[in-house]
Amino acid sequence: MLACLVTSQVSAIEVVTHPQVVESNLTKSQLRRIYTMRQLRWSDNSAISVFVLPSQHKLHKRFAKEKLQIFPYQLNRIWHKLTYSGLGVAPTIVASEQELIQAIIKTPGAIGYIDDKTLIKIKQSEITISHRNIDVADMEDNQQVSSKGVVNVVKIKD
Amino acid sequence: MLLKLKTNAAVEISSSVNNFYCLKRFISRTVMFAVIFTACYAGAIKSEENKTYSNSQDFQLHGFISQGVIDVNGSDFVNDDGELSTELTEIGLNASYQLSDQFRLAGQVVYLDGGNRYEKGFRVDYALLDWSAYNSESWQANVYLGRFKNNHWLYSSSRVVPFARPSIILPQSVYFDGFRDIAVGSDGAAIKISHSNDDFGNFDFTLSYGRSPVSDEQTDILLGGIAMGVAKQDYETHGSFYWQPAFSPWRFGFSLLDSDFSYQENAEFDFFVNSDFSFQFYTINVLYEGEHWEFSGEVYQQRFVIDGFYGPDVYKESTGQGYYGQVRYKLTSDLTILARYEDFYLDKDDKNGQKLEQSTGGLVPYYFGFHKDVTLGLNYDITSNFSARMEYHWVNGAGRLTPVVVPNSLINDSEDWEMWAIQLMYWF
Repeated sequence: MLACLVTSQVSAIEVVTHPQVVESNLTKSQLRRIYTMRQLRWSDNSAISVFVLPSQHKLHKRFAKEKLQIFPYQLNRIWHKLTYSGLGVAPTIVASEQELIQAIIKTPGAIGYIDDKTLIKIKQSEITISHRNIDVADMEDNQQVSSKGVVNVVKIKD
Repeated sequence: MLLKLKTNAAVEISSSVNNFYCLKRFISRTVMFAVIFTACYAGAIKSEENKTYSNSQDFQLHGFISQGVIDVNGSDFVNDDGELSTELTEIGLNASYQLSDQFRLAGQVVYLDGGNRYEKGFRVDYALLDWSAYNSESWQANVYLGRFKNNHWLYSSSRVVPFARPSIILPQSVYFDGFRDIAVGSDGAAIKISHSNDDFGNFDFTLSYGRSPVSDEQTDILLGGIAMGVAKQDYETHGSFYWQPAFSPWRFGFSLLDSDFSYQENAEFDFFVNSDFSFQFYTINVLYEGEHWEFSGEVYQQRFVIDGFYGPDVYKESTGQGYYGQVRYKLTSDLTILARYEDFYLDKDDKNGQKLEQSTGGLVPYYFGFHKDVTLGLNYDITSNFSARMEYHWVNGAGRLTPVVVPNSLINDSEDWEMWAIQLMYWF
């Protein structure tokens, strides 16, 4: 009961990738490198497509601080520099969590993040994406979408 | 009578020239706004239609639009009459297209209006081919060919982008607007090598070689309207190194620049003679990015050699120095205050400008030898891509006003001057 209360108050943020991405876990440094655009390819040499929510989105702010240990304004600075000085390409910004999960499902090499509560909501409403239902069978057991489903949940190690 | 006719004709010509100029200005602004809005609209349509995102990384379109008001009292930094000015317009549109795994095309066009600060109008900010020569988990090497941005100083690559720099007016010691179009980038080749190490942090090394075209108006801005000849940049070699320790809020860097310019006198008539200019510029910088506090500073030294120009046998060498320290504090996640102090002098052996005044027989007052600026500012992020900014500057000295070589001491007759500005910025 207590555990239930705790999880309902502080939801976890999951890092998710397109199902064809070979990595099933990443270190904190790797995740940080990917989001600061210092690592552009997965270990099989396929291109990484990074997706984020708008910088003022609550989940984005939490993700930056908790998972990357970077303040959102620092990420903005790095990305703006790439985008507006021609040095490189910044992550693609999508408006909502649902759009973000759709983008990850449909883009090979994609990485993004999602609130585990949203995953549950998606499960409950059984949203059809691209004429496919999200594979939620495993999620009920593990509280997450399994690697066999439409997105991978990546484990982040220290 | 004849005199009156002549005067009337002159007035008419000047008013029609003025009208033509206004019309040209109006049309160019309208066209730019139309392009921006079409691009925004097209971008929106594209994202509506193409929800697959599969190509989202291949083609990207971004831009920004900002307008402000600026009021300068006591100098011709922005305009000559000292009135409130809207000459604070910055518009940009850029595209990036991934040709293949290793090659990417990128370009940006900007429209700038900053009054006397720099040339008004459109320019190609960058247009380059980006070759991703080597890529691994911890190493990246890129070669940029074409027109690339100066990526060597703390804010040099983002100085044109209003929301990406810390204030409306950057510290003029390092980011002198009169020198903007030459310092902002070059046509040539650049190489950037980045390394990320779990134990030692991030390392970035950039080396560039190229030259910048020097327009007639840029020549006027630097040398003054009485220089009838042609100035050009022969080459510029620029290198920098940055280090950020692993998971550290600190970053340290330095840069070295070496450049040669030449001036070819007008064969028919000129006040100046053929000359070579040599310019070296060294910076050391530090950046701290905390949750609420942020600190940045740059210290620099320049060496400027004039061989000729004032006369065939003139050789003049001066060493200028400067620094600025900047503190920002986040009152909330959207509201940031800024305080900055900068100090700059053209000649380290003449910090108070007395020698300058003496050597010019009083033509150039002593206060053209230095520039000190106390700045207070406020930035409010209204949404994720819409911000408002305001700031106030208290300036002592005229050392960073244009034209540089032949200063305008008639308008700039005061040692102390002030300015304030408000700017709204939108980007996508």
